[in-house]
Amino acid sequence: MPSEATAPRLPAPALAGGIARFLGRPTVLPGLLLIPVLAFFIVWNTIPTLWLLGLSFYRFSLTSGRAPIYAGLLNFQNILNDSGVWLDLSRTLLFVVSGVGIQTVLGVALGLLFWNSGRLPGRRVALTMLFAPMVLTPVASGTFWRLIYDPTFGVLNAILRGLGLSGANFLGDSSTAFAAVLVVDVWMWTPFMVLMTMAALASVPKAELEAAEIDQLSWMQRMRLVLLHHGKYILMLGILLRTIDSFKTMDLIYNMTFGGPGTTTQLVAITLYRRAFEAFNMGWSSALAVILLLISIAFTATFIFVLHWREKAGA
Amino acid sequence: MRASWREHAYHAVLWLVALLFFAPIAWIILSSFKTADQILATPPVLLFRPTLDNYVQLFTRDSFLHQLFNSLFLSVSAVLIAVAVSFLAAFSFSRFKPAGTDFLMFLLLSIRMLPGSAAILPVYLMYVGFGWKDTYAGMILFYAMFSIPFSVWILKGFIDGVSPRFDETGRVNGASWLRIIARTILPQVMPGVIAALIFNFIFVWNEFLFNYIIGGLQTSNVPVALSTGLYSSGGVDWTFISALTTVYLVPPVLVVYLFQRYLLVGMTFGTVRGEV
Repeated sequence: MPSEATAPRLPAPALAGGIARFLGRPTVLPGLLLIPVLAFFIVWNTIPTLWLLGLSFYRFSLTSGRAPIYAGLLNFQNILNDSGVWLDLSRTLLFVVSGVGIQTVLGVALGLLFWNSGRLPGRRVALTMLFAPMVLTPVASGTFWRLIYDPTFGVLNAILRGLGLSGANFLGDSSTAFAAVLVVDVWMWTPFMVLMTMAALASVPKAELEAAEIDQLSWMQRMRLVLLHHGKYILMLGILLRTIDSFKTMDLIYNMTFGGPGTTTQLVAITLYRRAFEAFNMGWSSALAVILLLISIAFTATFIFVLHWREKAGA
Repeated sequence: MRASWREHAYHAVLWLVALLFFAPIAWIILSSFKTADQILATPPVLLFRPTLDNYVQLFTRDSFLHQLFNSLFLSVSAVLIAVAVSFLAAFSFSRFKPAGTDFLMFLLLSIRMLPGSAAILPVYLMYVGFGWKDTYAGMILFYAMFSIPFSVWILKGFIDGVSPRFDETGRVNGASWLRIIARTILPQVMPGVIAALIFNFIFVWNEFLFNYIIGGLQTSNVPVALSTGLYSSGGVDWTFISALTTVYLVPPVLVVYLFQRYLLVGMTFGTVRGEV
């Protein structure tokens, strides 16, 4: 900013020139351009994060009406000794690994299937239908899948009964609920991996495909030497983005099972929600949030590592 | 004609896959034209006389139009602010590479990687403390903040792709930076701006948790309405849910249809380019 004290004393043209000279300085303009984002960042990220960090060392319940009491690392100790949290974390891990695994396998298979879809009649409509599940409001998908899964009125059970099989209370039965939620997640996000696979396939230079054709490489060789060689970075970025998003899964489960029955579908984001916004145990919750923050930072670092790796490889 | 037959079969399979993924959504849309009894009929009915009653009821529900307005108002204003602010920062990062650029880009991205309930917890405490809960400004600015990382990432990628020679030519000819940004950079990165706008729009449009926690009666959007208005007269109100979901689904699906070429860039923070 031009300094307030000197500005009024200058005649107008000199003032304009002064501002121009000021902006022309090598360090001023870059900084000025960053001010709005930095302001946002400080108010809505740095301050809350510091608040969170601070609170994680305190015993503080929002409902007790008492001031926070310094407790050192007690919250972290409690969390690490809480077998419930470990169960939720391992359940989340299972959800992420199996969900992303299935989505990747299915997505790559379908992406390969759609490879030559260039002349498909109504391609744009078909792709819109295929990609629609990932832009549908997760709250709406979560809610409506409850009706689809419903033991008496649900269309899925009607189909099973029509096939002569016995139905099930998919979301109400603790032995099937986790798989039922996983199926919805797979339905929502397989299209994303299809999209990434199509992008990976599109990144392969045409000449190399033709060369592979001429060299009469087998299907496996073509996959490995040509497609995987060029497409691996895009696929890796896709898998990473999916991993991170899947780790965050909240809206879908909140409205489909809210972690139940029991805790069979309780992922760690739901655990935190319950402890923070139902039990209002803010000290404990802050500590868990800090742990999740560290995990997220590790994910982000991996993502950026793959990006740099791709840049170095020049792909 | 054997090749042609094979191509038909191939296309039929592709359509089958697309329809399979769309089937649950089609079921929602179909249900929205049924009566409550028809939705809960066993076995489910496929052929019925469609009714528009659910839509009439939805749009005469006093809170619904207000919530629909909130959804639109929050998402459009947050996204416009975020993209404008992010464009300036992305330009600075891309052209001047100030010290700490990589670190800031990393921090920005890590915000988006954090589980929602962890991200909102300190903001909730802050908003309760400052009395910002359930205010439009509080909601819009928070959503803008949450849309910034994505926008900076996507726009920096696009600005990196515009050769600095354009700037130099402008500088040599005596144009100001503002003029260079508006006249030579902006037109070339328009696809990035559009992708940032529409994908942040979808994000805020569909967002539930933040609105539920730091919003309230005044600022609640449609996903919150859906989640909290599930039950009526003792049972789940499926007619309301299906009609509301169908209405709410239109903008995101239209976006996927109209902006299909931006889908890839939009779903990957701009790290993957290309068309499918």
